Amino acid sequence: MHAIELDDVTRRYGDVTALDGVTLSVEHGRTVGLLGTNGAGKTTLFRHLVGHETPDSGRIEVVGRSPEAGAAVRERVGYLPERPGFDDALTAREVLGVHAELRGVPAAERDERVERVLATVGLSTAADRRTGGFSKGMTRRLGLGTVLVGTPSVLLLDEPTAGLDPRGVETFHDVVETLADGSGVTVVFSSHALAEVERLCDDVVLLDDGRVRVHGPVEELRLADGSVTVALRLADPGDAGRASEAARTVGGVRGVERGRDGRRLRIDCERSAAFDVLATVRRAVDLDGFEAHEPDLREVFGRHVPTGGSGGGAP
Amino acid sequence: MSDAGSNSGPEGGRERQPDGGTVEATGIGFGRERSDRRSRLGAVRTVARREYRIAARNRREVGLAALFAVFAVGVVAFAALRPDARHDVVVASLVELGIYLVPLVALVVGYDAVVGPEESGTLDTLLALPVTRGTVLVGTVLGRASVLCGASLVGLGLGGVAATILLGSAGVAAYGRFVLVATATAAAFLALSVLVSALAREKTRALGAALGLWVWFVLLHDLLAIGVVAALRPPGPVVAVLALANPLDVFRLLALRGLDTVPVGFAAAASGVGLSTPILVAALAVWIGLPVVVAARAMERRRL
Repeated sequence: MHAIELDDVTRRYGDVTALDGVTLSVEHGRTVGLLGTNGAGKTTLFRHLVGHETPDSGRIEVVGRSPEAGAAVRERVGYLPERPGFDDALTAREVLGVHAELRGVPAAERDERVERVLATVGLSTAADRRTGGFSKGMTRRLGLGTVLVGTPSVLLLDEPTAGLDPRGVETFHDVVETLADGSGVTVVFSSHALAEVERLCDDVVLLDDGRVRVHGPVEELRLADGSVTVALRLADPGDAGRASEAARTVGGVRGVERGRDGRRLRIDCERSAAFDVLATVRRAVDLDGFEAHEPDLREVFGRHVPTGGSGGGAP
Repeated sequence: MSDAGSNSGPEGGRERQPDGGTVEATGIGFGRERSDRRSRLGAVRTVARREYRIAARNRREVGLAALFAVFAVGVVAFAALRPDARHDVVVASLVELGIYLVPLVALVVGYDAVVGPEESGTLDTLLALPVTRGTVLVGTVLGRASVLCGASLVGLGLGGVAATILLGSAGVAAYGRFVLVATATAAAFLALSVLVSALAREKTRALGAALGLWVWFVLLHDLLAIGVVAALRPPGPVVAVLALANPLDVFRLLALRGLDTVPVGFAAAASGVGLSTPILVAALAVWIGLPVVVAARAMERRRL
C-alpha cells in the first residue's frame, strides 16, 4: 500500500482544468518534490489530498483512506497551506499549544513538545510574542511548526520555504533530512527552488497544466537521457577551432559550443563518450582545465515544461 | 536539530501503522506515541477556548461589558430621576431600547466568525487539523457566545445593581429575567450572524447582510406584521406565528411578562394570543440552535 495514491484524478473549475487525469503514487517514507510553474495545479493537488476539495472524477487515497474521510485522514496528515494564517492576538506558543491539543498530543507531553518544536523552527525567543507582529518568514516558520507538533505519517507542505530567510531555509532542510533519515514519514513539498528539491528529495513529480509530466526518482530523471556536459578551458584561445573539430570526431557528441572569450568550450555528449572527448581534445590542443557535469533538475524541468507553460491554473 | 526524542518503540523504534507504513521516533517529535484522541466535544472546547482567548486578548469582552453597563446604568439612572420611578418602568424602557442595541452588538460580534478567518488564512490552517468543519463552527460560536453572553450578564447586571441601589430590591426578579432574556436574545442574533458569515463569500458582504438582518428584525418585521394584523385581522395562531418569527418579539413578550406595563407595537397584538412562557422559551432556543445547525451545514459545503 502506498502513502498517497491518485488514480486518474480530474478537477475542473469552469473552463479551467486544474487537475487533468492525474495518476500518481508515493511510497511510504519517501521525500517527494512537487515541481511546476505557477498555476500548474500544485496547490489544488494538496487541497485534494487533505479533503478540502473533491475531484470531479478519479480516486484519491491518503494513508489508505479517501481524503473525504476528513478529520480521520488529517489525523495522519500534516498540511502546511501555501499561506498559513494565525490569529494576530495569539502568541506562537499558544498557536502551537492549540495545534498540539487538536492533534491529540497528550496533555502531559504538550508543553515539552511545543518547546521542542519552537526550538526546531527557531522561534524560541519569539515564543511569547503575538503572531500579529511576526514577519512573513517567522509566520512560515510557525506554519512549519504547526505540522511538526503532531505525529502525522504524511506531511504535505505547500511551498514551505517561500519567504524564508537562508537560515529558515536551512532549518527546513534540516527538518526534512531528519525525517528522511528512516523515520518512515512521507514528505511531499512543492517548491520553485530546484536545487532544494534535488538536494532533499528521493522523487520528483513535475506538474504542468494539471498533468503529471514526469514522476520518478531524482537520479533517474537527471540521468534519463544519458547525456553529460564537458566544459574545457583551453590554454590558447586560438586553438578553439581545432579543439571543436577534434571533439566532433568522437562518436556520441551531440553539440559543441564555444564560449564568448574563445577559451571555453562546452561539449554535450553521451555519458559513455565523455572520456573519449576529453582524451581526443587533449591530444589535439593544450588544456588549462576541464569539468564535467550531469544534467540537473533545471534542465529536466526545461526539457518537460515549455516556456510559458501552465497558462491555465486553478482559481 | 533538537534533541532526539526518547520515543523508541517496538521493532527497533518503528511502529507499523494500519495503512502498512511505519512511524519512527525522531528528534522533532514524530513518534510512536499514540495520540490522546480527543472526543469531538473536546475539540469543540479547544476551539471555543481559543476563540475566547482571542477576544479576551483584544479586550473585546471588557469593551462589550462596558457598553452594556453604560446602557443599562444610564437607563436606570435616567428612569430613577422620575419621582414615580419603579422597576417595571425601568425594565420596559430597557427592553424597548435594548431591542436596538442587543441585536446590533450580537450581529457585529458574529458577522466575521467564518468569513473573517477564511480571508486571513486562519481557517485554512485550522481545517488542516484533524477537526471537522462543524466542530470548528460550533467551537467558534461557543467561544464568541461566551464572550458576548458574559459581557451581557455583567454589563446589564451592573444596571441591576444600580436599580437596586436607586429603586430598592422589590423588582429584582423582573430585572433578572430581563437580563437573562436579553442575553439569550443576544445569543440568537449571534447565531444568525454566524449563519450569515458561513454563507457570505466576503467580510464586507457578511457585514452588509448582518445589518440587513438588523433592519429586518428591528424595523421592518413589526411594521409588516402590524400591517397584516390591521388589514387582515388574522386569527390568533397566525399572529402567534408572526410573533415567534421575530426573536425580538419573543424577547419583548418574555421580558415584559408579568410586569405592570403595556407592550407597544406588534407585541401588544401578540400578547393577547396566548403564547405561554415555555413556548416563548422554546422559540428562543430554536432561534439560537437552528441558525447554528444550518451554519454548520453551510460550512461543510463551503468551498474554501
